[in-house]
Amino acid sequence: MKARRADRLCLVLLFVLMIATTAASIRFGAIDFSSHDMATAVSGKLAGSNDLTLEQRIFIQLRVPRAILCLLVGACLGVGGTLMQALFRNPIVEPGLVGTSSGAAFGAALFYVFGALLKVNLGGWTLPVAACAGGVLSTYLVFALAHTKHEGRSSILRLLLTGLAINALFMSGIGFLSYVARDPQARSIIYWNLGTLSGADWNSVLVVGAATVFGLVPAVAYAKPLNALLIGEEEAVALGVNVGRLKWIVLTINVLMVAVATAFTGVISFVGLIVPHILRILRGPDNRFLILGSALLGGTLLSVADLIARVSLRPAELPIGIVTAVVGVPVFLSLLRSREYLS
Amino acid sequence: MIRTQKIFTLVFLTCLLTGCGRFYSHQAAAGGSQRIVCIGQAYNEMIYALGAQANLVGVDYSSTYPPEIKNVPTVGYHRALSAEGILSLKPTLIIHDNNIGPDNVVRQLQALNVPMKTFQAKGDSIDGEKALLREMGTFFHKEQRAEELCAKIDHDMAAAAETVKKYKNAPRVAVVHFGRASNVYLIIGNGGGGDASTAGKMVEMAGGKMAIEKHGMQQMTSPEIIAESNPQVILMTEYGFDRLGSAEQAKTLPGVAETDAGKKDRIYRVSEHELMYFGPDTGENILKLSKLIHQ
Repeated sequence: MKARRADRLCLVLLFVLMIATTAASIRFGAIDFSSHDMATAVSGKLAGSNDLTLEQRIFIQLRVPRAILCLLVGACLGVGGTLMQALFRNPIVEPGLVGTSSGAAFGAALFYVFGALLKVNLGGWTLPVAACAGGVLSTYLVFALAHTKHEGRSSILRLLLTGLAINALFMSGIGFLSYVARDPQARSIIYWNLGTLSGADWNSVLVVGAATVFGLVPAVAYAKPLNALLIGEEEAVALGVNVGRLKWIVLTINVLMVAVATAFTGVISFVGLIVPHILRILRGPDNRFLILGSALLGGTLLSVADLIARVSLRPAELPIGIVTAVVGVPVFLSLLRSREYLS
Repeated sequence: MIRTQKIFTLVFLTCLLTGCGRFYSHQAAAGGSQRIVCIGQAYNEMIYALGAQANLVGVDYSSTYPPEIKNVPTVGYHRALSAEGILSLKPTLIIHDNNIGPDNVVRQLQALNVPMKTFQAKGDSIDGEKALLREMGTFFHKEQRAEELCAKIDHDMAAAAETVKKYKNAPRVAVVHFGRASNVYLIIGNGGGGDASTAGKMVEMAGGKMAIEKHGMQQMTSPEIIAESNPQVILMTEYGFDRLGSAEQAKTLPGVAETDAGKKDRIYRVSEHELMYFGPDTGENILKLSKLIHQ
């Protein structure tokens, strides 16, 4: 009981940290807004005014949605990582493992190279739709290939290895597309694989927000069965957990969150791997805590990374994939050294 | 409470009034108080040649010529732009050559009604280049300077044609261009579109012949193709050449040492802006190029 209370306190602290980072993320960037600027922009927008200044429109249409998208994408990746590590009971698993991010990257690469030939044009939605479809398709492929009639001890391991194989296949597909691409297309593919939040708008916030909610709620609900799985697959069965069903549900939640988030931002590596570990080092393996905590910490970490990406070279901007590791690794390594986590 | 509200309203109205004047000067011709962000290396070189750089407040990462341009803030790589970064320079106009991205950032800029301009003329030939210079000259009110530059191009091109006539042979030339994004080098073939064909046109005007007739460029090429095409001269753009360090080092690239150019040490460094796109100095550059490849 005491542990649960400490967990709750930790969640509150993480929430406060997230709010503080978001405040900084909204305020600073290529342009620094004063609290006055921000207040006038918001009050002007709320009053339904149509002639906001350019600065005010930058704040409302670019800065705020970007800060929110950071939180949502970070939450998706963090929760995805926690779910995958819990399901596979393996610490080196990250959310893209079952093929989702390499499939999404392949979809995006296809769009960059052959998008001009498409008959259907969805405007700004074409790239996210292509990426999301790639992510879902590749994950489905992994599911289908790993599925056998003999559910049991080996089924999760088989899924893991199938995921690795399909990842390799899609990565080679991306390599091939970059090879046949003209130089500007090839560079677009490279930049997409480094991720960026510069394209954030209110539409992407709505879509990723919906994915976050529809993923997070069931994820929290399945925290207890996932805890049972911690002891072992057979032990969980003995405790009355339908492991087969749990596996499909958790994987579906993961695909929903990771494919949709990746579709709007490109591949952002490392967040999903590192966030659950940091929390586990701090508070232990209880998934009830880890799932909510990784949503908060994932968002915080991505906000900090995005802030650095925006201000370090201004007015130019770094791809966020470069920054996430630079921010996350020192935190991770120092925690790893200071605690007897793995023993 | 009411007081705070009043202050907000006051500040808001002030912003509104000052803001309008600054940001809504649509499609104005470039005049005194314009703040221009120009994304495109060829455009930027011409802006400097025309002497119209006073209002330039931002350029892209690839715009590195003339050297003075390095004092202008860069908004990053032209296919990985950020709307906020560009807008932080408070541009009244963004000039670009339609080769900008990512698409969603371009849409963001459009949604914010930031005036954008692309010039009609395509500088993809000598005539196209002159048309572009004149169009830009009119836009920046530098008509006279544009005419001077066009006259210079005509003069230099005539001189180049005279020089080329003197040479009996047309050496086979291969152009090696390093991609900055990925660590591979690219061989430019004759034909294709955009800057792919530009290098080929330049080499031909300089009295050379492209060793690789294949269409298109900017793809990795098998070392065997390079060796088989056996160019007598290899031109290497500066970024790749400087990274290798010397012509001797360039010979270590697979396939290069076996060529006539490699055996006779005829591997030369050229600047990207001299070879990859037409510019105000193109005539002069072709003259230089013809001497270089016929040495």
